[in-house]
Amino acid sequence: MKFNVLKGPFIKSKNSTNKIMKNLFISLIPIILFSFYKNGIIPYVHNKTDILGLFYPLIFILIGLISTFIIEYLYTYFFLKKRKQELKEYIKNSFSIFPGLFLALILPINTPISILIFGCFMAIVIGKMLYGGFGHNIFNPALIGLLFVVSSYSAIINLNGGYLNAYEVDSLSSATPLTNVNLVEGIGTYDSLVKPYGTIKDFFFGTIPGAVGETSAFLCIIAFIYLLFKKVIKWKIPIIYISTVFIMTYIIGSVNNLGIWYPLFQIFSGGLMFGAVFMATDPVTSPTTSIGQIIYALFLGILTVTFRYLTNAPEGVMTSILTMNMFVMLLDRLGSANKLPIKKIIIPFIISILLILTISFKVGNSFKTTKNSSDSNFKIIEKTNNYYIVSEKGNGGPIKAKLTIKDKKITNIEIIENNETASYYKLVEESNYLDKLIDNQSEIENVDTVSGATISSTALKKMFTNVINDMESEQ
Amino acid sequence: MKTIINGIIKENPVLVLLLGLCSTLAITTNFENAYIMGLCVTIVLVFSNIITSLIKKFVTKNVEVPVYILIISTLVTIIEILLQNYVPAIYEVMGIYLPLIVVNCIVLGRALSVASKTNVRTSFKDALGIGIGYTLVLMIIALFREIFGNNTLTIINSTSNLFGFKLMYKIFDNSILFPMEFLVKPAGAFLTLGILIGIFNSIKGGNNDEPN
Repeated sequence: MKFNVLKGPFIKSKNSTNKIMKNLFISLIPIILFSFYKNGIIPYVHNKTDILGLFYPLIFILIGLISTFIIEYLYTYFFLKKRKQELKEYIKNSFSIFPGLFLALILPINTPISILIFGCFMAIVIGKMLYGGFGHNIFNPALIGLLFVVSSYSAIINLNGGYLNAYEVDSLSSATPLTNVNLVEGIGTYDSLVKPYGTIKDFFFGTIPGAVGETSAFLCIIAFIYLLFKKVIKWKIPIIYISTVFIMTYIIGSVNNLGIWYPLFQIFSGGLMFGAVFMATDPVTSPTTSIGQIIYALFLGILTVTFRYLTNAPEGVMTSILTMNMFVMLLDRLGSANKLPIKKIIIPFIISILLILTISFKVGNSFKTTKNSSDSNFKIIEKTNNYYIVSEKGNGGPIKAKLTIKDKKITNIEIIENNETASYYKLVEESNYLDKLIDNQSEIENVDTVSGATISSTALKKMFTNVINDMESEQ
Repeated sequence: MKTIINGIIKENPVLVLLLGLCSTLAITTNFENAYIMGLCVTIVLVFSNIITSLIKKFVTKNVEVPVYILIISTLVTIIEILLQNYVPAIYEVMGIYLPLIVVNCIVLGRALSVASKTNVRTSFKDALGIGIGYTLVLMIIALFREIFGNNTLTIINSTSNLFGFKLMYKIFDNSILFPMEFLVKPAGAFLTLGILIGIFNSIKGGNNDEPN
């Protein structure tokens, strides 16, 4: 006897796949309109862009949506060899437009269209169809697409303008609020993190730089309530995920004597809200049992904070969701055991609570110590009347350079050794940053850092400042 | 001839037997490294198979693995010294993977399963077939990874002092086709190899187990 198992997700309610898709789409409409307002209408009203730029956000989203649909259609036609009625039925029930729609919403606005289509292709083919199509995929397809785009093309997107839209590019210098957290200076203050973009209220409503559609926390919450009301998603994952991040960043903030704005800043910025509501709750790639969902969400929060503070990636939401997607089957097996094994369930909870406490205090304290000793990375290796050989801590290790001086002025810089990531360092070279530093050395604080290579360029800037200070102290 | 083709298609070491994956994934970032690695493995494989086949009557079952390893490592050491002397650039790129040919499962596997059982002629042909199969796969993966991951094609660069000229091409301009950086990273190697095995199996029409 043979049992045929149908494809997941198995949903108990009366919702059909079609209805879920419709509700999901309705909940996304305000977000799409908001991104049209923020990236299209505001620059147009301020005369920063033409009529094409006005509708560009909508075109961008539409291209993402259509290209995943076409790619999936072609794949099913040519490789799965489905025809006519069967094909129509398959496409109708496979959420084929959503990976592209989500991908367009989580990419920066300045992503070239060809890269968007590349991301859609990877999302559908690698992230979904190679696993066996809808219902069989382990990872969230949209995030797989984002992963490929970020790992191959982040330098090109940054060269093209990165996250800043036509209006923001004039008033702001650094890419997203979160990139400021990761600077070598330490944890940051209200003036450096929130003030350049307005107040915490702007973070809540989403008028800050960021990806096309994930800036507005307010609209994400509305969409969450709507989807909850329509019983499309369960409340556990988003709520627990966001509150874990909140608690951890609250501890980190209070260790460093920062106010309640700090955790709020952390949960409102970046893709956390959008990821928690739309990505982490994807019915195919998230646990179905409630115990599984709780552990899944707890670890999502822990991983996000870990990635944000302890690695060079400022975002962390994509990586943590993809990481936890791997454990969904294990968590579900734990949660769906006939007799709930109490011992087995308590262990992950204890581990996660311990992790929350240790990571937050550890990170908080480590920032406390680096704050005082941040200038000690600068070293003078050799010093004569004509040149300095100095080293400064960069992103990947020490940067060594030889600075030629004449009449108390730096005339030339020659990088002897650097361990920076090649793609980031290329950005520094291509923007003639070193020449800019030499030209403006009397007012070095006013030189903008290279967006996308903030740490490397800040290190070079510090190197200049320290050498200039050293020269002046000799007089 | 049949034995040689058998090594390339039916018993391809990388695509069918899935042996020697470590070096396959690590060395294929650049076309030149790939074919030199393939060449080295082929040379070691041919000589080790011939020697193994010659002495098979004197080796008892108990000591065969140590004896074969000894033969292979002697050959690898010879190649290593030659490379270090004549093309130090390649020697540096190969790094740890060159000494690792000693424990490359392809070489030992062929010595144990073929050369110790058949005559010199057959084991020579088998080694040639397997070596060519390995080199071809390495070259295909490296070609794909280098062209799309870096937009270049390196045929002769680090061995230029041996040939007296360089052969390096820029395939696409960076503004026409952006290089896909992930292909040069380890993840790209796994992905390329996986897709290649998939295509190979679907052409060969191997096992058709439908997932339920």
